[in-house]
Amino acid sequence: MSTKPFRPDVDAPEYKGKYVPYDIIKEGTIAIIVVGLLVVLLATLFGSPDERAITVKAWSNADPIDFATTALGELNGSTVTAKYGAPYNTAAPGQNLGPLRLAQFAGVTIPVNTVRDFVINPLSSLPYDKPLSAALTEWKSASASQQKSWVSNYTAGASKMTWSNGQINVPATNAGPVPELINKLTSMARSGALDQALVTGGGFYTTNYTKPLLFVADGTYLANLAQKQHLLGSQWGMMNETGSYPGQAWLWLYTFWYQVPPFNSSSNADVQVSALMGLLSILLLLLPFIPGLRSIPRKVKVYRLIWREHYSA
Amino acid sequence: MAYFWSLAALIPLNNYGHYIHWGVIDISLANFIVIVLMIIAFIAALFLPFPGRSRRKESR
Repeated sequence: MSTKPFRPDVDAPEYKGKYVPYDIIKEGTIAIIVVGLLVVLLATLFGSPDERAITVKAWSNADPIDFATTALGELNGSTVTAKYGAPYNTAAPGQNLGPLRLAQFAGVTIPVNTVRDFVINPLSSLPYDKPLSAALTEWKSASASQQKSWVSNYTAGASKMTWSNGQINVPATNAGPVPELINKLTSMARSGALDQALVTGGGFYTTNYTKPLLFVADGTYLANLAQKQHLLGSQWGMMNETGSYPGQAWLWLYTFWYQVPPFNSSSNADVQVSALMGLLSILLLLLPFIPGLRSIPRKVKVYRLIWREHYSA
Repeated sequence: MAYFWSLAALIPLNNYGHYIHWGVIDISLANFIVIVLMIIAFIAALFLPFPGRSRRKESR
């Protein structure tokens, strides 16, 4: 009878030591009770993060000029959402992994037309107002080139935008209905009605906050708040929490890649980092099958420290 | 009820956090403390004796 040679890291040697009874139910129960008591104690002492939700209303009241500038950006197509590509529109090819156009493969699954969805439709949902109604009619009946010309003329003066007496003022000529649209949208936002119009636009259930989130994220207000809380991607924000609470420390490796070249300057960083983490996860999953790597625990010998009682016998 | 609210506010954590910068590393003090505690727990798990170890030795 031939015997195969023993292969370290592959074959399990026969255990010839002593057996000791072990009560896993008892240990599990103790662990649950101890962790439960710790959770109650820490929650009582420290509470939990309690930041107010950032709404379009809060944003437009805190910084009406930033809101109006962003609303104009939605009209002239210069915001991040307007230029993003899939899944919102076809304005850009979106993120790719080498030759794989992943965003384009997925396609436009959440269509967002910033002019229609963020400006015209919400204003059209307001109760009848003669100047606004006339402005909307003028806009809707104009050609695309005429609309573009009005927006361009208004945009040319937007760097001198001011806010006074509850009005957005821009020194612009030949801007057609655009000043009225921007002013009424700002008033609508400051009243809170725009939040509701953007949320309910999705259907019967009012739980889809995609549009108000995109709109708020297009401005600088949200980014400034996030920067103060160290939540930006360039600040390891993925593993941070608001206030002084500990965050998601286990995401350190995921967010680490965003801080170093070439990912910190790549427009495809999201898909590149996801691919890299996927590759590393597969390596970890296949560790028992990778010669060399699978030998590390045996050679480092930490297990002999844990089971020192057994190995010293 | 007011007693419990005041108890929860004993150590308020909703103020802006403190951050440690070291080269490319930018870590919140709270995350740093949690990571240090995890390392201490790992080292303690390595070196602290298993419960019931002395009893097993006596029974040998």
